[in-house]
Amino acid sequence: MENTTNNAAYMLRVRDIHKSFQDNEVLKGISLDVCRGEVLSIIGPSGSGKSTLLRCLNRLETIDKGSIEVKGEFLVENDDSGCAAYAPTEKARALLGCMGMVFQQFNLFPHMTVLENLMEAPMQVKKQTREEIQPAAEELLRKVGLYEKRDAYPSRLSGGQQQRVAIARALAMRPDIMLFDEPTSALDPELTVEVLKTMRELAAEHMTMVVVTHEMTFARDVSNHVIFMADGVIVEQGRPSDLFGNPKEERTRMFLGNMVK
Amino acid sequence: MDKLTETVLSILAGSKVTLEIFIFTLAMSLPLGFFVALLRLSGIRPLAILMDVYIWIMRGSPLMLQLLFVYFALPMIGVRFSDIAAALLAFTLNYAAYFAEIFRAGIQSIPRGQYEAAKTLGLTYSQTMRRIILPQMIHRTLPPISNETINLVKDTSLIYILAMNDLLRVARTIVQRDFDMTAFFIAGAFYLVMTAVLTAIFKRMEAHYGKYDE
Ligand SMILES: Nc1ncnc2c1ncn2[C@@H]1O[C@H](COP(=O)(O)OP(=O)(O)OP(=O)(O)O)[C@@H](O)[C@H]1O
Ligand SMILES: [Mg+2]
Repeated sequence: MENTTNNAAYMLRVRDIHKSFQDNEVLKGISLDVCRGEVLSIIGPSGSGKSTLLRCLNRLETIDKGSIEVKGEFLVENDDSGCAAYAPTEKARALLGCMGMVFQQFNLFPHMTVLENLMEAPMQVKKQTREEIQPAAEELLRKVGLYEKRDAYPSRLSGGQQQRVAIARALAMRPDIMLFDEPTSALDPELTVEVLKTMRELAAEHMTMVVVTHEMTFARDVSNHVIFMADGVIVEQGRPSDLFGNPKEERTRMFLGNMVK
Repeated sequence: MDKLTETVLSILAGSKVTLEIFIFTLAMSLPLGFFVALLRLSGIRPLAILMDVYIWIMRGSPLMLQLLFVYFALPMIGVRFSDIAAALLAFTLNYAAYFAEIFRAGIQSIPRGQYEAAKTLGLTYSQTMRRIILPQMIHRTLPPISNETINLVKDTSLIYILAMNDLLRVARTIVQRDFDMTAFFIAGAFYLVMTAVLTAIFKRMEAHYGKYDE
């Protein structure tokens, strides 16, 4: 409570997190801050730990060491022995509820229509009635341009449409932070455009976003801050104009050189 | 003509035993099989191994032998059941093992991403199972369940050896008594009608659960 005023602007504060799979240390001390309304892009070569980092933020993976603060409250912090200890169940649930996630593979529920996909979590988790949630869900579908598909099953949609539904589904829980793990990597180039457009619109509405991406144009144009990761550490970070225009580290230059080619 | 009616009526009475075995076996072995599948996947090793052994014994030995065991061997060590209870016990244990394997495969075939999506949306584990995993599992397992169910109709004829006057035994008695094959044809027709009805029911269920493709 003491630091509420200080931390209020921070949606996420991550300090020195470590994560290993068996004896493979994938995250070797990552720290980062995300302010309210900020868009953070994370770039880096395959296997550098970007997805793992994102998945640690919303506890799809548990960290071994370090701390994660969500809106000024600890989701996890080191206990006296220096190991990560998570907040009690109820508090953790509340903090995790502030985050929505969009996956590379969409992960829509195939047995539900588009509208049902959006309404499922609000109805089950927040115990809202269908009547309460349906107008908002339809509004979200209009926003991502898929209102006319509301009664279709996901298998009837293109990849780009499915991903926009997935974004709308996450938004239906009214998250404060949206996490994206390579949301366009599974899509044909012509379909990435519509998904990126939806994400740009979200950013323009000042949604706080953490985006793992290979879309350098998106990272440069939309984000406020870019992190370049390699081998489980942050190699370089900064404003997109600096990181893309004038990278300081050799590894960053090499990576960006390969991406442009 | 009178004789034909009498034959049909006798066989109809026999089919009552058959139907009883069929319906009760199904009603008990489906939930039991599902429970076994959950234990098998529980991640608790001793339980998982125990379930593996159970499934192995039930699927790896003849149902006929299992029936004989419950009916004749258990009474020797003082465990006694009524005829119908013995038959139901053997059938249920056997079919639950088959259903368990079908359910296990069905649950395991649901991609991890479904659990992860549900989790990031805030659904609890039981909500995830009930709302996300089970409906998809039913969709995927209906065809093999349908197969096993039709097998069960035919397997009920095994109670023949327990002298319980089921459909088949009644038919055979009539054939032997009258030296007339008609009863076999009528019995065959009964089985065919039952499997046809079941096929139709499963078709409708598959249509209901299969409104979506994957
Ligand atoms: N569940 C897991 N079990 C074991 N190892 C894992 C697991 N998840 C990730 N890893 C390992 O962690 C390392 C980092 O993986 P991660 O998926 O975070 O990389 P990434 O930066 O997202 O790569 P990409 O760009 O290919 O998506 C890899 O070496 C991977 O093999
Ligand atoms: Mg990744």
